Amino acid sequence: MSTTAPPPTTTASRPTDPDPPNRARQVVVWTLVSVVAAVCWGVIALVRDEQISAIWLLGAALGSYAIAYRFYARFIAKTVLEVDDTRATPAERNGDGTDFEPTDRRVLFGHHFAAIAGAGPLVGPVLAAQMGYLPGTIWIIVGVIVAGAVQDMVVLFLSMRRDGKSLGQMAREEIGPVGGAAALIAVFSIMIILLAVLALVVVNAMAESPWATFSIAMTVPIALFMGVYLRVLRPGRVLETTAIGVTLLLLALVGGGWVESSGLAETFTLSKETLVLCLVVYGFVASVLPVWLLLTPRDYLSTFMKIGTIGLLAVGLLLARPLLQNESVTEFASNGAGPVFAGSLFPFVFITIACGALSGFHALIASGTTPKMIEKESQVRLIGYGGMLAESFVAISAIIAASIIDPGLYYAINSPASLMGDTLQSASEAVANLGFSITPDQLASAAAAVEESTLVSRTGGAPTLAVGMSQIFSEAFGGGGRAFWYHFAIMFEALFILTTVDAGTRVGRFMLQDTLGNVWKPMRNVSWKPGVWICSAVVVGGWGYFLYVGVTDPLGGINQLFPLFGIANQLLAAIALTVATTLLIKHGKLRWAWVPGVPLAWDAVVTLTASWQKVFSDDPVLGFFAQRDKYATALDADQVLPPATDLDGMRQIVTNTTVDGVLAAFFAILVVVVIADAARVCVKALRDPDSVATTEVPYVRSTLVAPAGLVPTKAEKRAMAEAGAGGPGGSS
Amino acid sequence: MTRVRGWLADGARGLVWYLREASGETAYERYVAHELVVHPGRPVLDRRTFERRRQDDRTVHARCC
Repeated sequence: MSTTAPPPTTTASRPTDPDPPNRARQVVVWTLVSVVAAVCWGVIALVRDEQISAIWLLGAALGSYAIAYRFYARFIAKTVLEVDDTRATPAERNGDGTDFEPTDRRVLFGHHFAAIAGAGPLVGPVLAAQMGYLPGTIWIIVGVIVAGAVQDMVVLFLSMRRDGKSLGQMAREEIGPVGGAAALIAVFSIMIILLAVLALVVVNAMAESPWATFSIAMTVPIALFMGVYLRVLRPGRVLETTAIGVTLLLLALVGGGWVESSGLAETFTLSKETLVLCLVVYGFVASVLPVWLLLTPRDYLSTFMKIGTIGLLAVGLLLARPLLQNESVTEFASNGAGPVFAGSLFPFVFITIACGALSGFHALIASGTTPKMIEKESQVRLIGYGGMLAESFVAISAIIAASIIDPGLYYAINSPASLMGDTLQSASEAVANLGFSITPDQLASAAAAVEESTLVSRTGGAPTLAVGMSQIFSEAFGGGGRAFWYHFAIMFEALFILTTVDAGTRVGRFMLQDTLGNVWKPMRNVSWKPGVWICSAVVVGGWGYFLYVGVTDPLGGINQLFPLFGIANQLLAAIALTVATTLLIKHGKLRWAWVPGVPLAWDAVVTLTASWQKVFSDDPVLGFFAQRDKYATALDADQVLPPATDLDGMRQIVTNTTVDGVLAAFFAILVVVVIADAARVCVKALRDPDSVATTEVPYVRSTLVAPAGLVPTKAEKRAMAEAGAGGPGGSS
Repeated sequence: MTRVRGWLADGARGLVWYLREASGETAYERYVAHELVVHPGRPVLDRRTFERRRQDDRTVHARCC
């Protein structure tokens, strides 16, 4: 085993920086960018008690991203990681045409972005808007720059230097079996909670809405048709197939409006419980069907819709330039009594907004697929850091969409049904009790505008986002069409959530099969049907349980489960950042360990504080066990406490709070175990650098020529022309 | 005017190139080119067989939230 490999003569072989004459121009351009960003931040900071335009948030975000990408990401690439373009990447060394394949940086950026960005950056910011637009916006922008994008880029780099090893493998090999096992358990449990919460978002958007239910249900036959078309009729013609699929999808969307006003409306009006059953059956069937039949075509469809809609939203925001109706900081930020989720700004904004600022789940994608396809080491900056900046921009768009709608309506949509009561009158009164105002008539007309029966207590973020997006789109592109845009947004979100559910169930099944295979060999065989069925059923049963609990919980499923999801996701980030920090120290770069170390410290403090409060808080609104005590005591006395309406509801609350509390504690213990185990390895590495081995693959000289960034420099263009490498249309 | 038209044409060509690459439509072309260079003389799979194999070899990866 070799110890820390000395970096091969990087300084001598590193290509020289862009031509010197550009220097003056660069100074001017970056000064301008800094001024624009500073002005936008200034407006956000100084304007009080009057509405500001969303454009300032966009300007502050984009300006800050540009500066961070130009300076901080470059510093990390050159100084901290010492990327070396003379070193062959796994794609070049192992190129086998299937898993390992050198892929154009722009294409890989698209793949990576499509894999990391989903419903997370849309849902979290919408919920966090209850604290006002400012805390969420600051965390999204600052968080991505110093934490999220750093995690993605560093993990991508480390995995790339190890032939694309997964985060779990790196934790096991570089930290030890204890840290590795904790990481594996964490990944699996997060997957289950993640799938349950995402499915809950879809169920809440589809329940009692025939339009949404019909159009989302139609995505299944459309995907099946595409699968058969691509397999049998026109193999490999992906674009043609996707174009047909998107057309059918839009027809299904229009058809949904027609179904709603026809006799079929009854058939597609389903209760939440029925929808849970449908989703569980769907999830099981989808995960045992061949991939080409349902999952692959669905993936094409959802990726296309996702990128298209996000692009449309960005254009819509620029055209509509809406005013923010939300307060900059609401009183819920300090008193922790918000109806959407309990707890105050610290730590819960940082838990609620995971994707878009810092998301541990990305570490699974940055280690695994992407590192096996990267052409040049320096491209980790564009793909890892740049990809995460793009996701952060999606999160900013989402917090804007949630903040431009009337606050009274926002709270009516996002508060649990137990708080809002059964009528528009009771909802209006409940909103007034929260300190905001909306009349029953306004509630009725808001629902009528998007052709829904009601918008009250449509929790989960998707309906709020859809209301906001429908306002932006109808204003930006004119011609009203609020109802169409609303259901377009719902469908777009449901589509890729269902894709995540498909893929996640399958990945969870593989993980389970692999783990059980250690104990009993046949389990590992992926074509052994009973094994496949049992493991699929376990995974589906796992998220199905939490989903069912979520829709029936008298306290409100999103309210109870979203913090758990956030804690789990940020825990995974803690593990990823721990692996990153440990590896830098093992490579003798203690000097730069603060780069992942500072976000790790912050993330650990946030996650552990949140878990601590969820487990030990005396406040029954916040702490799971305090909640449990309150309801268990009442139950012993045969009392029924609201929001429960009968003893069964009481028993349900007692069971759910126990499960949730145990999980919160369990997640926190896992983080502590991984960090402690890593600290042991770091101390050992510092005392005796020769005693620790790393698994970095030895240096092999690269012969590939490819640019480092998005736009090739003059020198890179010359080198590419000499090597005869192509670009767009270059080979045709 | 001709300049603008040239930019538009370049942009459209770039978009088509991007979509074809990103969607994997060009995988077969790349495979054929690769086979001709690396294993000349070895029979090349037809598109249907190639695409079927590629679909069946595809590993499923988690998508994030």
